[in-house]
Parts: sequence; structure tokens; C-alpha cells
Amino acid sequence: MNMTERSTTFDEEKRDAVPASNAGGGMAQKMRQTFSAWRQIRQESSAGGRALYSLAGIGILVVIWHILTMGEPTQRVIKPIALPSITETLQSFESLWFDRALARSAFWSLGRVFGGFLLAASVAIPMGVLAACFWRINALLRPISVFGRNIPIAALIPLTLIWFGLGETQKVMFIFLASGAFIFFDSTNAVNGVSNSYLDTAHTLGAKRVPREGLIQASIAGVVHGMIFLGVAFLMGSNSTVVSKLAWCLGGFIGGMLLWYPILVNQVIKKVILPLAAPDIVNSLRLLFGLAFGYIMLAEVINAKHGLGSIIIISQRLGPREHIYLCLVLIAALAYAIDRGILWIQYKLYPYRKEL
Amino acid sequence: MGEHVPEMARHAPCGIQPLGQKEKKLADIVTFTNVSKTYHAGTPRAFTAVTDINFHVEDEPGIGEFIGILGPSGCGKSTILRLIAGLVPQFPPTTGEVIVNGQPVTGPGADRGMVFQDYTSFANRNVLDNVAFGLECQGVPVGERHTRAREWIAKVGLDPEHDQYKYPHQLSGGMRQRVAIARTLILHPKIILMDEPFGALDPVTRRNMQDLLVDLWRELEATVFFVTHDVSEAVYLADRIYILSNSPGTIMHQFKVMPPDRPAKVMMREPAFQESVFEISNILDQLEEGKD
Repeated sequence: MNMTERSTTFDEEKRDAVPASNAGGGMAQKMRQTFSAWRQIRQESSAGGRALYSLAGIGILVVIWHILTMGEPTQRVIKPIALPSITETLQSFESLWFDRALARSAFWSLGRVFGGFLLAASVAIPMGVLAACFWRINALLRPISVFGRNIPIAALIPLTLIWFGLGETQKVMFIFLASGAFIFFDSTNAVNGVSNSYLDTAHTLGAKRVPREGLIQASIAGVVHGMIFLGVAFLMGSNSTVVSKLAWCLGGFIGGMLLWYPILVNQVIKKVILPLAAPDIVNSLRLLFGLAFGYIMLAEVINAKHGLGSIIIISQRLGPREHIYLCLVLIAALAYAIDRGILWIQYKLYPYRKEL
Repeated sequence: MGEHVPEMARHAPCGIQPLGQKEKKLADIVTFTNVSKTYHAGTPRAFTAVTDINFHVEDEPGIGEFIGILGPSGCGKSTILRLIAGLVPQFPPTTGEVIVNGQPVTGPGADRGMVFQDYTSFANRNVLDNVAFGLECQGVPVGERHTRAREWIAKVGLDPEHDQYKYPHQLSGGMRQRVAIARTLILHPKIILMDEPFGALDPVTRRNMQDLLVDLWRELEATVFFVTHDVSEAVYLADRIYILSNSPGTIMHQFKVMPPDRPAKVMMREPAFQESVFEISNILDQLEEGKD
């Protein structure tokens, strides 16, 4: 193998020495080398090389788009009503931003998904941790979590409309229901992934139950939960009463205390299991948040006054269709930016978990 | 103390000494009485890990004995350690009683420290917080526990300035076991249980760790139970060696060997030492061959 390679190089040098007659042959040689590089499995790559090929990928798409929408509107391969040209799409950004209030809609969508997701995480993470530690709790909750993971999420929309009406409550609760079972399941898995030898080590180093400390810390956790629930209550209903908001807050406090006390009272869970599982839990939250961000579009497409999903459905019904394409690109870019942002936080929080 | 060796050479393997035969002068630190452990008892999957374990180790004031446990693979060496530590699922025993310091074992505790073969340094904690873990559990204030942790980081041969903020993934296997030892010994346990702690280390690191362990053990005056596959390691480190039978394990032989009063490199070259290793290796080889 080595021998042949060497002789090839040698041949090449000889050819280079007489460029006039053999230029075509050198060209063919270069082509052959490029193609053999394409065939090499798991070849080392440089950042520049990767960027170049990614740009080429975008370029190909743009060219295809351009070819399909070339010429006068009446003579195009695809009708402008189905696929507007690139320039038309870009020009419609102004009306999307000002007439359709893109930024406000984006905030609405993000707020809904963030509220529902935070609510789900605050309940499902401690439940998942407890289920992984105590088999009785796991067996109790398992039927619900299996059910929640196996029903098609879209099928929840009609039900949430019946239960929670047409307003913001329905959006938040839809996200809560859609993501809760998955967060629970992933948290359980993350905790199950912590090796028993860490538990043994913690036990022989004297990790024990600390009722007083546990109670104090659980109260703090309860307050945090109360705040989260209060925030979500504000998000869900501007017309709800003060009493109902206070009920949410109190419910959050009590729920938070009950969920976190069994975790915080036990040093093995608090100091060993939870911190070791945390990187995996956060990683799954990142992936699930991306999923939930997709689901909010679904809810908004069906019924909403604001939100990126509602812009899409309005553009489909009333036009301009250009807005649909712009929105899709922006949603993808936003989702990607959020994903990278959380990933960056993960690196900062857990520098010892390089592989995540 | 070298006179133990000819005595050992004369000894035919003596079997275990029944309790009460020897006149009891000292309180026992660890007593096993008819201890056996059977998993899934009464089902077709029933498996007996150890059976009929009887021994007692005296609490010699200011010294502490070093006991090496040898035996064919899968004979339940670790089970004995975990029964002393009170760790599930080995604990509680199916029959018999494990008494530590006059009290029956009810569960794990910091008075019985344990070092495992796997690297069990907490991946989310740096060296300093790994070593300080036990003190943190006791509620020692952060300043004090870090000061004491730094002392122990130095004692196990790591550089407190340089290494204290490193995470386990940045350490070599030998360094991780140093952390594990520091983390256990900082709590001054009366009993130290070591389950092949140097099993995954290269030979040179292993010798260094053995000498380190001897130094630290002298200072702590703790009773050590040390499970290993390496006969010369056991003969070098231990005062006494228990040899377990094939599974289900029970104590077949008990030897007194010379204590580690010289560096490993020196002692391991002596003929008397090599004779002891040879004799014990023979017994173990016969056991391994006798397996079906």
C-alpha cells in the first residue's frame, strides 16, 4: 500500500515536470485523489472544510429554489402561490415584522412553552428522582408515565381545549402534559445510570439522613416551587382572581416541599445521586425543550391569537405565503440558538462531562 | 518481629481457631459467628456465597491488626468485607451474627471505611471536595473541612496546591486511589475495609501504594481487612492471612506472617518472604484446580 502511494507521488512529480503535454493527466489524478478522499470513512476534518461543505449544502438548496421560481410568475415551474421566489420571500420580512408583530409573537410562543415546560420540569424531575430511588414510588407512577409517553401528543389538543378552554391555560397545560411524562422518564433513567458503587462509597463515608437540614432545605425548595407556580398562574390568566393565584402559589409550595423533602433529607440522594445524575437530566431537558418548542406551534396552529404558529396559519389562510417560509426558517434558527445556548450552559456547569 | 516466619513455615495450615479456645484477654473488634449468606433462599436460584464463617479479631490497643483475605475467584471474599461494612445486598447475613466493637452491625457507617477496586471518586467533585465528603456529611464547616482535607491530600502523596481543584477524570488510576484512601482515612475509621484497592494499578504504582498504605495504617492504628488476588501483596502487608475455600466460601486456613516493617522492595526479595508466598500460592493453586 505504502509502496504504491509513494510511486504515485513520484509519477505525479514527473508529470508536473512536463506540464505542457500532460496537464490533462494531472487533472485526472487530482480528481481521482479527491474522490478517494470522499470514500475514506471517518476521515479527519478541519473546521474550515466543514464550513465550506455546509455552505455548499445551503448553496445547493438556494440554487434549486431559485431554478424552481425563475422567471415571470406565470411561467414558473412552481406557482408563486405555493413557492414564492427568494427575493419575494425576503422582501416580505418587513410586513412580517411590523404588520404581523413577529417579535411579540415569538415572545408569546417562547413564554408559553417556557411556562409549561418549567412547570413540568419542577414536578417531573423530583418525581423521577424519587421513582429511581424507591421502587414503590416507581411502580405507583409507572402506569401514568407509560400512558403519557405512548399517547400521541397531538391527540391531547382536543382534550385540553375541553378542559382548559381556548385561552392561555390550554397552551401551558398542553405543554405541561406533553413534556411531563418524558421528563419524568428521562430523570428516572439518569438516576438509574448512577453506579451502585457510588452509593456504597457514600454509605461507608457516613452519608445519613438529616431530618432538620432536610426540612429547612425542602422549605426553600417549596418557596421556589411556589414562585414558579405563581409565575405560571400569571402567564395563564390575566383575568383569574387573586384567590386562584394564591391557591396556585400555595399548591406549589406544598407540592414542592413534599417532593423535595425525601430527596433533601437523605445525604446519599442529595450529595451523590442527584449531582451525579444532574448532567444527564439537564441534557435530556435540552432535547425535550426542543420537542416542546415544536409542540407549541401545533397548539398555536389550531387556535391562538398570538404566536409563531398563529402567524403561519394566518399566512396560509390570508397570505402572504412568503411569511410561512420566513417563519419556518426563523423558528428553526431560534430552536437551534436555544439548543446551543443550553449546551453552552451545560459545558459551563459540568466541565467534567466532556462527552455530553 | 521476623521470628514469625519460621513459625509459619513450621505450621501446617492450621484451620481456624474456634472461639473461646484461646484465652480471651482483649475485647474483639470484629467477630463472625456461624455467618452464612444465601441469595434467593428456598428458590431454584438459591446461591450460597459464604457459609459458616467464624473468626474474631482482637482490638489490640494502639496497634490494630492487618488481615489479608485470599481465596479462589468467586469465593466470597468481598462478601465478608461488605458484611462488616453493612452494605446490601450482602448484609444482612442469612444466618449467624456479625459483631463490630461489641455491637451487632445494623447498617453502614463511617466507623467502617471502605476502599473499592472501582474508581469511585465522585465525578462532580474536585479532589478537595471528594476528600472532604465524609466531613461534609458530618456537618463540619467548610473552612475546617478543607483545611483537614488538604492535610490528607498531602499525606497520601498528592500535591495539595497543584491537585486540589482537579476533577477525577483528570487523574490517573493511582491518583484516584490515593484520593479514595484519603477520603476514607480522614474520618479515622476504627476498621478499614479494602476490596482489591490496587487491583487495577500497574506494578510500580502498586508497590508505591502498598508502602503508602503501611505508613498510614501505622499512624491510624486501625484494623484493616484487605482482600486481594496478589499473594505477595497479602504476605507483605498483612499480619495475618485468611484463606477461603472454593464457593461457598468458608475460612480454611489462617496464617500469621511477618509484619511489613521494611519497604516492599526490600522485604519481597528475602528468601523467608518468598517461601511464605510460595506456600500460600500452592494452597490457592490447589483450590483453583479443585473447582469444577
